[in-house]
Amino acid sequence: MKMSSKKYNNSDNSQEQTTYKEELSKKIKEQKVVVDELSNLKKNRKVYIQQRNSNIFFLADRSQTLSTSRKELDYLKKELQDI
Amino acid sequence: MAGGGGKANMKPLGGVHRLREEHEKVVKDCDSRIQHWTKVSGDYDALSDRLKTLPDRLSYDIMVPFGPLAFTPGKLVRTNEVTVLLGDNWFAKCSAKQAQAVVDHRMKHVKKELDDLAQTRKNFEARVGLAKDLETMSANKGQFVDIREEVTSSTASKGKQRIAHKPNSKPKLDVVVDLNEEEEEKEGGTGAMTEEELWRRLDELERLEELQDEQDRLSDTADTNGNDSSSSSSEEEKEAACAPPVNGLSLKPGWSPAPHSDPPLHDRKAEDDEEEEGSRLPTIFFSHTVEPKKVRINTGKNTTLKFSERKEQKEHSKRKKKNGHSNGHAHHELHKITSPADVYRLFVDVRNGEPVPRKSILKSRSRENSVCSDTSESSAADFEERRVTGRSFSHDEATHSDTSDGVTEEDSPTAVPLLSRFEAFSGTVIEKDPMPTGVPHLTILPPALPTIPERKQEEVASDFTPPPAPEASKRLSKFKAARLQQK
Repeated sequence: MKMSSKKYNNSDNSQEQTTYKEELSKKIKEQKVVVDELSNLKKNRKVYIQQRNSNIFFLADRSQTLSTSRKELDYLKKELQDI
Repeated sequence: MAGGGGKANMKPLGGVHRLREEHEKVVKDCDSRIQHWTKVSGDYDALSDRLKTLPDRLSYDIMVPFGPLAFTPGKLVRTNEVTVLLGDNWFAKCSAKQAQAVVDHRMKHVKKELDDLAQTRKNFEARVGLAKDLETMSANKGQFVDIREEVTSSTASKGKQRIAHKPNSKPKLDVVVDLNEEEEEKEGGTGAMTEEELWRRLDELERLEELQDEQDRLSDTADTNGNDSSSSSSEEEKEAACAPPVNGLSLKPGWSPAPHSDPPLHDRKAEDDEEEEGSRLPTIFFSHTVEPKKVRINTGKNTTLKFSERKEQKEHSKRKKKNGHSNGHAHHELHKITSPADVYRLFVDVRNGEPVPRKSILKSRSRENSVCSDTSESSAADFEERRVTGRSFSHDEATHSDTSDGVTEEDSPTAVPLLSRFEAFSGTVIEKDPMPTGVPHLTILPPALPTIPERKQEEVASDFTPPPAPEASKRLSKFKAARLQQK
């Protein structure tokens, strides 16, 4: 599961806004996939979270990560609606 | 007009367009950099969080990277020991907290970079906007109108024919010229003009400060400058402010009226040259009179006396008034020293009505009287020369040790006609002679000095030129030879 964040400067330019919207919608799609996958895991599976910018994966709690991912998705959706 | 205007605008159109493009390029570059730095900042944030929680557990279950493509389950042990990359392949083993401190420090730098980039981006966005406006303005003249004012010669020539009211006062032609030129060159280079004016004004103010002490010499010519009329109000104010100091300045150096009687339609450069040239004449005069130096002098009695030049300046100002300004000009010319021969030309004693070349310029007068400093101007001039150029005449200093100590001699009363000649160097230190004239100074002078018995001889003998020659040739060979040659 990748956690990446990208910030775009919101300018008045409509062109940049549409680009931002597209980026957001992409992220939302990815997040949706993550949530679905997590929810569809068997109980004995381990979930690992990748440390940013490196190749290390730390063991994480499955339920906890699921709830975190869901929160992220909601947040992204809200942002898209706000624009 | 429309065709010409259109033609004129074609050039800036291309230029403005390119300007806008360049600005936009910069903005894009800033954007990409900001993106990069935000990513870095995010990474460091995550790292900081991880470091905070890392020492919480003794070990973590992780997926260890196994080669470039595979992972294997494993444990992360020694959670408190972190190897930090310091750059250039140098590493430091730190605890988690220390590593966190390093990360915080790096975060600071990243934030600073981000701020700078944001600022730059903002600036260039503004410039892009400006360029866009400029483009639209030059493209279609409908919305924006160019306002131009033609300058006629009548308005520019208002203050042209002003002459100085006093022959030696410096009229404020400079300022008037500035005005004219400012009007004429309105479209181009006004920024540079004002700068030059400012520098001129600074110089004037400096000179004014120096001359504040000699206000008794200033005549009230300030009223003459009040009548100047100018078209621009700002210039008027400046003019009025400049006028008294300029005039105050003018009296002292004794500007000759000739260069200033010309119509002030000079270029600024010509005016500056004149100014510089004019200042070249009295520079020697100035530098010596104005410097308020204090000099300590060892008299024969081993006493050190302090003296300031103010007294001398006042004396000289009075004398100059008596002598008139013409003398002053003559003096300036005479006091131009370009070769050692000039020195000997200048430093002459008047004995029995004839100018006698002095053997040593470090000594002002004959030594028959006393070693104490004198109150004359010629000796003052000598002392000034000594002070200024004493180093070059090393042989004199070697021979006359008392002069190296800085003892000046008393002036003989017969040297009155020479006083006026050395006004330029009036800034030297002159002390009142405490000792009586007839006191011999054998105690101070080393017996090796040849000049003392020589001069005593001179007083007796009517013809004094031959005796100094052979005697002096021993000691003052170089300069003496030059002097004799000149003769």
